Amino acid sequence: MAVKFDVQNLNAWFGSKHVLKNINMKIEENAVTAIIGPSGCGKTTFIRCLNRMHEITPGARVSGKVIFNGVNIYDNGVDPVIIRRKIGMVFQKPNPFPMMSIYDNVAAGLKLNGVRDKKILDAAVRRSLELANLWDEVKDDLKKSGASLSGGQQQRLCIARALAVQPEVLLMDEPCSALDPIATAKIEALIRKLAENYTVVIVTHNMQQAARVSDYTAFLYLGELIEYGPTEQIFENPKHELTERYLTGKFG
Amino acid sequence: MSRIIDTGLKELSATLYRMGELAHRAVLKALIECIEGREAHKEVREMADTLLAMADHIEDKAFELIARFQPVASDLRTIKSYMKIAYDFARFGRYALDISSINKQIGGLRNCEEWINSYVKEMSEKTSEMVRLSIESLKSHNTQIAEKISEKEKEVDRMYFEFLDELIKCGATTKCAVSSVLIVRYLERIADHAAYICESIIYIATGQKEVLR
Repeated sequence: MAVKFDVQNLNAWFGSKHVLKNINMKIEENAVTAIIGPSGCGKTTFIRCLNRMHEITPGARVSGKVIFNGVNIYDNGVDPVIIRRKIGMVFQKPNPFPMMSIYDNVAAGLKLNGVRDKKILDAAVRRSLELANLWDEVKDDLKKSGASLSGGQQQRLCIARALAVQPEVLLMDEPCSALDPIATAKIEALIRKLAENYTVVIVTHNMQQAARVSDYTAFLYLGELIEYGPTEQIFENPKHELTERYLTGKFG
Repeated sequence: MSRIIDTGLKELSATLYRMGELAHRAVLKALIECIEGREAHKEVREMADTLLAMADHIEDKAFELIARFQPVASDLRTIKSYMKIAYDFARFGRYALDISSINKQIGGLRNCEEWINSYVKEMSEKTSEMVRLSIESLKSHNTQIAEKISEKEKEVDRMYFEFLDELIKCGATTKCAVSSVLIVRYLERIADHAAYICESIIYIATGQKEVLR
């Protein structure tokens, strides 16, 4: 397996609260890895450590290594802005820029990076919307506000926005939790398609979603990585008693 | 805290235990019929039909649980295995009926040489013990009991082939040869299904797909 992330002894804190404890895992390139676990187990913190978003929170800190393309992203001299460009993120609640058009939402990242050429922007917007399976639905309404779209379309717009800057990785934090089943199915199909060219790490509370979309699943509990392996093995025959109890709803 | 799915799983296992008991009775009844010549065909047929209907019910219930609860891990392994075991029990019923039919249509082991009767009786006892063990293993989800079945299955297999050799040498009558060959063949298949059940029990408990045959 080609490794995209090699996470070594990763620890994370919010102030004195130790939220991730010695996480070691290798995340495969061009595959979907799902992170599951009960609320507060550190799932979101974990993916926010993969693109240095965790450190944005006041009082938050990290130790250990996240080796990405052979480089520890926490080494001195590594620019977190460049890391976040290569490792994009999609959040729980669709968050298009409400005052911007669909076109500008997708082009925003490129413009911030200095791209001004209309032809380049047009091509990038179209490519990103096509990749996000949204082009056919919005191609005649590119000037409309992003906020005018349905929840599922807004989430795909956010995915298109993330894809526009040509990342290598997409981190998704419960991307379907605010969506209905049809919009969820579209996003899930999109995730599978994206995995052909991107590495996807998805946090989800929906275990069936993890089972449907992911190639690998990691189970976190109280900040520790309890079990990590191929999704079919985790869901059919988990090795750890805690994983079994969580998956079958026998916790508590 | 009990889960909603537990009610369905309990119903599934209760039906399966009843199936196991009925399947065991059907096999015993058919064997006694053949060995001792006691007429029981109608009764065995009813048992076999009931087992088939129960297997259908288990399949429907299992599908309902899958659709409603999307089970995973040990729940999923249990439901998948219970469907397989229900089929195995239905096969016990079918083979019991086949054995009973031999008695009815060809005359069973009547007029066979004594050694043939003794041989079939011994093989019947071993097979019946395997059926009993498979049901005990199911009820207790005991993998140690399940593991015991492997040697017994090999022994029944050995007896089956040995019987064929001996039968060719002895020159039995056609009726007797046909009856006894079919009976030992069905016994050998019942033993296989008892082993399948034990494999399922090991799979439920450990997730490992062991072959006990």
